[in-house]
Formats: sequence, C-alpha cells, structure tokens
Amino acid sequence: MKEFDLEGLSREMPYRMPEHFLDDMTERVMSKISQEQQEQRRRHKERRIYVLFASAASAAAVALLLIHPFKIGGPTIPDYESISQCASIDEVFQSMSTDELGVYSMMSNYYGN
Amino acid sequence: MKRDRSDSMNSQGSLSVSDESIARLLCDDNHVEEAVRLIMKKYGEPLYWHIRRMVVAHDDAEDVLQETMINVYKYRSTYSNEFPLSSWLYKIATNESLKLLKNRAGYSMSVDDLGDSLKDSVRAEASPDADETLLLLQEAIALLPTKQKMVFNLRYYEDKSYEEIHQIVGDSVNTLKTNYHYAVQKIKDYITEHEL
Repeated sequence: MKEFDLEGLSREMPYRMPEHFLDDMTERVMSKISQEQQEQRRRHKERRIYVLFASAASAAAVALLLIHPFKIGGPTIPDYESISQCASIDEVFQSMSTDELGVYSMMSNYYGN
Repeated sequence: MKRDRSDSMNSQGSLSVSDESIARLLCDDNHVEEAVRLIMKKYGEPLYWHIRRMVVAHDDAEDVLQETMINVYKYRSTYSNEFPLSSWLYKIATNESLKLLKNRAGYSMSVDDLGDSLKDSVRAEASPDADETLLLLQEAIALLPTKQKMVFNLRYYEDKSYEEIHQIVGDSVNTLKTNYHYAVQKIKDYITEHEL
C-alpha cells in the first residue's frame, strides 16, 4: 500500500470561522476586562475601608486601656471587712447594688444556700 | 503610544506592532487595554485555530479563546521577556483548551479517552464543501493522544520550531521530536486506511 504524503496536503481547515467573529470577540473580551477592572477597584476600596475600621477599633481599644487601666472586671462584691462593719444582715443587703444582689443570688443557688 | 522601529506596515497596509511593543504595553496599567486589543488583532485568528484544532467545536473554541484573553489580562504580570510573547499566548491557549477537555472528560476518563467523541465532532462541525482528505486528517488528529496532538498541530500548522514548542508544552526537544514522529506515522496510517 502506498504511504500517504502528508507534506503535500493543504494546511487549510475543513471548518469555517463565523463572519465578524474576531471583532465581536474583541469587544466581548474588552467588556469582560472592564468588568474585571471595576471588580478590582471595588475589592481594593473594600480592603481600604476594612483596614481603616480595623485601625480605628485598635486605636479605640488602646485609648480605653490607657484612660481606664484598672476598671476591668465585673461587679464588685463587698469584702468581709465591709460586711462585718454593718450592723445587721439587712444593712448588708441594703448596701448591695442590683448587680451585686444578682451575683449573690446566683452564688447562693450554686452552693445550695 | 510609542512604537518600536520594528513596528511596520504589512502588505495589507495595516500597522504590524512588534511583540516587544505589545509586551511593554501589557505591563503598563495605563495601556493594558490597548495591548489586549493589539494581541487580539495580531494573534486572535491563529490562537482561535490553534484552540479549534484541539477542541474541534466552534462554541468551545469561542469559550476557550475568551478565557485565554481574560487570563492574558489577569496574569499579565507573570509574563517574562525571556520568552517570546507568542509562546506565552499559545501556552495559555493550550492550557485553557486542556482545561475544557479535562472538564468534559470528568473524573472517570482522561482527556485521551475523548478521541472518539472529538472525531465524531469533526464531520458535524465541518463546512459542507470540506475536502474529504482534510476531514480524514482532522479525524486522525482527533484520535491522537493529547501530547502528540499538541506537538503535531504546533509543528505542522503553526510551523513552530521544537524550541518554541518546548516553551509552550514544556517537554524536552527529544521527547517532542518523538511525539511528532509517532503522530505523523499514526496520521499517515489512518488516512491510508480510510481513504477511498
């Protein structure tokens, strides 16, 4: 059987490319790129706002620590000495704030008292 | 826009911009859109045919070409002047074509298993007046393993040197030569067997 001569064959393709295909494609690509650029700008803006808020929150936290360095913690409970100075247990309860009474009630329930 | 001395007028009278000028524009954020337009003008058609030879169907080639150009824009910072612009473009187009074929093959098949389905698409996609031998050639190409197909197309249709094909496909020159040799043999056998 005679071997086929590939080099003598035309380089043409048996398909067709639709008319104006490349022009339409160029416009579509440019439009996609424009969308991509807008998206990039939006992401960049969002990142800047996020950094701005994060910096402001950090600065506020540092400022709070500097202004009220020792006022961290929950409601204070009267210590033993202040309780002993009171005339009666009723006075102790009267001297306690609502928060302190809440804590007392919670502790009483916890220890079954 | 500044142009190189290598930018010249071609036989049709339109300005042919050098790859160096396009690459420079591509790296400049203020001129990137102009660069993409120039790439489409200069390489749009050859890239389309390169993709079409891989994926066969026009609709698929359209999707892949669009994705290729979007990637050219997105990953322009990865372009290195060490390689010719055309090799970089063909590399992106080849990778995008393979991506589409891999998606089509799914998890259970490899791209090479798509040969029969691509071969069937050749006649479905062909123009009515297509030459029978050219159709047989495309069928034979469709049945080739992917590596052999890529090397054959780039060498036979695009007239690329093995060095350029190496930049696009990545294999060594000797491996590429072997792939081309096998591809030619298989194509000749197929056409000889099926020709009337």
